[in-house]
Amino acid sequence: MQAQSDQERELAELIVDTLNLEDTKPAEIEPEELLFGDGLGLDSIDALELALAISQKYDVQLKAEDERTQSAFSTLRSLNAFIQENSARGSEPV
Amino acid sequence: MSYPLSSRKSSEVIAHDRDGPVTVGTLMTESAALAKRLPQSRYAINLHSNRLDYLRGFCAAMTAGHCTLMPPNREPETLRELERAFPDSYRLGDSNNRDSAETHEVDAAPEARTPDIEREQPAIIAFTSGSTGEATATEKSWHTLCQGTRNNHLSLLGDISKLVHSLATVPPQHMWGFEMTVLLPLMAPVAISRHSPFYPLDVAEALAALPEPRVLVSSPLHLRTLMMSGVAFPPLQRVYTATAPLSSAEATELEAYFNTEVTDVFGCSESGIIATKRTARDDRWHLTPPFTLESTASGTLIRAEHLPEDVLLRDQLELIDSRTFKWMGRHKDMINIAGKRGSLADLNTRLLRIEGVRDGVVFQPEGKHRLAAIVVAPKLTPAEVIRALKPQVDPAFIPRPIYMVEELPRLETGKLSRSSLLALFDSLRSGANPRNAGEASDQ
Repeated sequence: MQAQSDQERELAELIVDTLNLEDTKPAEIEPEELLFGDGLGLDSIDALELALAISQKYDVQLKAEDERTQSAFSTLRSLNAFIQENSARGSEPV
Repeated sequence: MSYPLSSRKSSEVIAHDRDGPVTVGTLMTESAALAKRLPQSRYAINLHSNRLDYLRGFCAAMTAGHCTLMPPNREPETLRELERAFPDSYRLGDSNNRDSAETHEVDAAPEARTPDIEREQPAIIAFTSGSTGEATATEKSWHTLCQGTRNNHLSLLGDISKLVHSLATVPPQHMWGFEMTVLLPLMAPVAISRHSPFYPLDVAEALAALPEPRVLVSSPLHLRTLMMSGVAFPPLQRVYTATAPLSSAEATELEAYFNTEVTDVFGCSESGIIATKRTARDDRWHLTPPFTLESTASGTLIRAEHLPEDVLLRDQLELIDSRTFKWMGRHKDMINIAGKRGSLADLNTRLLRIEGVRDGVVFQPEGKHRLAAIVVAPKLTPAEVIRALKPQVDPAFIPRPIYMVEELPRLETGKLSRSSLLALFDSLRSGANPRNAGEASDQ
């Protein structure tokens, strides 16, 4: 599997913790695997909980690219990229 | 006898689209043009997720004399089941999109009059999860919808007299969104935003883009998320919430956060909206005239002249007087997840129908929203069980986690007690070997 960056790993841990994913270890989430629908199989309830956790940890508000794909951040990699781009803290350790 | 598709004047604003306000007249013109392109079938399955497209599609179907089917979810197998039951139907807003309103064509079309619709014309059939694995269908006439909407206008907007601009986070194809963002704008001074935003920032932006006075139509889960995000919201005239219970503490917090009154709304697909309350101040529901309630052994009967038949509500209601009641809890088969109503019995039936599943149970663990499942299927993995359920079940009801075991701790009678189910679940969660968990129950 592709290597997760440190930031991606941290985000994967947040996902697993926030959503109580009992079957998944953070290190197992492939950076380019779909988070919603197929792949990890998260749904819109998860998206809301995750959006909250992300706003609290990274001080970043998620925005949908397109209403039809509400959970617009299709992968760990793209979600992390969005957070990093929009985070005031940049690469400051949390 | 007939009623117009909209009781509002052609010049009134009914929606806000990308290019600006849309009048009733424009909507009727676009719908009339679309109606001419529809297949000659009795039933329309409207799958548009865009609110304005859904409204247009609904108006076109009504104009053409077609009844709109409202499936409980948009999963492929659910739609196939629906089409097997209603072969004389077509889909609107599917990926084929042959019906997407090409509004450029319509610019040159003469403005269409608002059509009159026969009061007995079947307007919609709403499907809800029954407990037998088959959906129950409620057919409603145009009269039922019109009268219900007139009632809603009075009870929800009665004290608001100007044109209000409405943003909803709920989809148009479930009854709450349908009543508030499809029917209400046709009969009351409401202009809807085309958006169905999801993230707090998107909701705030879509609201800010609307003129005042603004109202927000949503549900408790979403409202809680909006509040906890800390995102700033523009001034609101009112917030309307429905589909799940809201505590008075929560309602109070929401009123403070949004700086406006929060109106809690009670109803079901079969009857539509029947009651309201201001939960921050009131612990009793106020029945919307002309509904009446009657307690019976099997539940509460909802009656009104405009309903096709009396509706039996299995929730536990305490009737205080002829106009007020308290909600005491839901019937134990019914589950509510993120505002969606489902039946555990229905889900269990579907689980057991999966090829390779010998036994299994879907249940809601203590204190959790999400359903879990424990399954006996030697040749299947949890992922395969999910793959089998996905096409026929709303995503909110897909169980997680799913544990595979060798057998369920059923009694000789075949019954599975909740306490032994929960004990098994706890042991599986704590990492006990599933084989051992199965064996332990034999002792």
